Amino acid sequence: MRMHARYLLPIAVVVALAQIGVLASMIMDRAAILRDGREVVLEVLPVDPRDLLRGDYVRLTYNISSIPAEMFAGADSAESGIVYVRLKPGEGGIWQPIAARFGQPLAAAPAPDEVDIRGTTYTRDLENVRIVGVDYGIERFYVPEGEGRPIEENLRERTFRMAVAVGQDGTAQIKAFFDGETLIYREPLY
Amino acid sequence: MAGYLNTLRKDVMRWRTSGLIDEQTASAIVLDAETHHRGGFSFGSVLAILAATLVGAAILLLVAANWEAIPRLARVAMIFVVILAGYAGGALFMRRGQSAFAEGLWLIAAVAFGAGIALVGQMYHLSGDEADALLVWCGGTALAAAALRSGPLTAGAVLLAGAWMLYLTLESGRDIPLLYPLVAAGIWLVSIWTASIVARHLTLLSLMLFAGLAFIEFEALWIAILLAAVSAAVFAFAAFLPATADRLSGMGGGLAVQGLLGFIAGMSIVQFDLYEGSYFLLVAIVVFAAIVAALLAEGRENRALRWLAYAGFIYQLGFVYTMLLGSMLGTSGFFLAAGLSLALLAWLIGRIEKRIAAERPRRAEEGA
Repeated sequence: MRMHARYLLPIAVVVALAQIGVLASMIMDRAAILRDGREVVLEVLPVDPRDLLRGDYVRLTYNISSIPAEMFAGADSAESGIVYVRLKPGEGGIWQPIAARFGQPLAAAPAPDEVDIRGTTYTRDLENVRIVGVDYGIERFYVPEGEGRPIEENLRERTFRMAVAVGQDGTAQIKAFFDGETLIYREPLY
Repeated sequence: MAGYLNTLRKDVMRWRTSGLIDEQTASAIVLDAETHHRGGFSFGSVLAILAATLVGAAILLLVAANWEAIPRLARVAMIFVVILAGYAGGALFMRRGQSAFAEGLWLIAAVAFGAGIALVGQMYHLSGDEADALLVWCGGTALAAAALRSGPLTAGAVLLAGAWMLYLTLESGRDIPLLYPLVAAGIWLVSIWTASIVARHLTLLSLMLFAGLAFIEFEALWIAILLAAVSAAVFAFAAFLPATADRLSGMGGGLAVQGLLGFIAGMSIVQFDLYEGSYFLLVAIVVFAAIVAALLAEGRENRALRWLAYAGFIYQLGFVYTMLLGSMLGTSGFFLAAGLSLALLAWLIGRIEKRIAAERPRRAEEGA
């Protein structure tokens, strides 16, 4: 215990630096996706208004949040709940899903104008399922306290678009938020 | 544990007046108890922990408010400073022997770590990662608890682990983390190193919660039976090998209380599951018998266990009556039955207490 007491301050500093390191590495990971990730543009869909605002973020869904079951390749087990979806730019610059697979990325490498994005699903079995709901970890847009309501109102009136950065492993990261063609928010690196 | 000191002072006074011990021995005993009776309950440390909890909540809310007056990088820097200052400042207080302030500052630093995780999630608009965030927070807190030998941080790590387990289970479409007993075992090891009894109690409670949730998830009765059987074994271990049990768990009479609690919890699940079948009354008789057996085995020395046994007995009584007879008898019949049962209960408890009182002097004579 006496030994422990003598080294307590250095130990405490090491603990603090370890925790700060964990937080810093989280920030670095996200900044790396923003900096180096492929950019795809998605359409933000109107959300059931009751579910739109929870606390101080706006809940969002996208044109790729519901994937038709027939788009899934092979008979992979859905147990992991992880889904890879291949995107390709479509009409008006909005990226659309073209194929999907449970558990691992699609066998064929994506073409130069395609991007694989990773998401999670609650669907565990494709039988009798027509639509697979997929979350990509970009379904929330945090706003300063009390500023959620106006955004929610506008979302119901106009079409919004989201530029999303996709990392090497398919992790998605919100990059820029557009009201029609107008940029309303750009995520800084840090 | 001011209660213990008060009781001791009264006892010493009585021994002094009855001539059992002399004045010198009397004051020596009280002085010894006062100087050596550390740990336990201290208003200073309790208030320090409460203060730290409030400051921690303030930090969490400041992050949640997403206040734009402070640029987000400044908020990150602020969190980093609180973490560093909290851990280092706590270490300095601990070296000066002011453990209450030390634990309080460490707690604030650990909360700031969690606030930092939330802040990163907010900065980059992450969603769906709450369970992972709780697990990282729990890991960081357990690491700090082990490195700094902090009891309150160990208890904090248990609470975060329990929150993680609960979050995964209750969030629709996710599964109960089957690895939770391993996480609990890991934190138990930390609690041995940090000598945190509170953390062990919380760990056992969280394991009971885990068993209950696993039962709901899998609808498998054997999980509840396993909970009751393991708890009964823990109780038997604590009651019949008290010295070994205390050496291994450090929980004293608390281990037997947890054993009885787990047994009643497990058997209650069995009863809820079987309440329409013919086994219901059989299970109820087993539970009644077990409670009385627990009372006779351990109730003599263990006040907490005695109260738990009484509470469990009354709860069982209500349970059996509402489930088995409530639909058959009219309201007046129920009141009559309940009244007679309570009279029986009073008579039984009175008998047991008399027996406990009668055995005390006999045991003292045996000891002399």
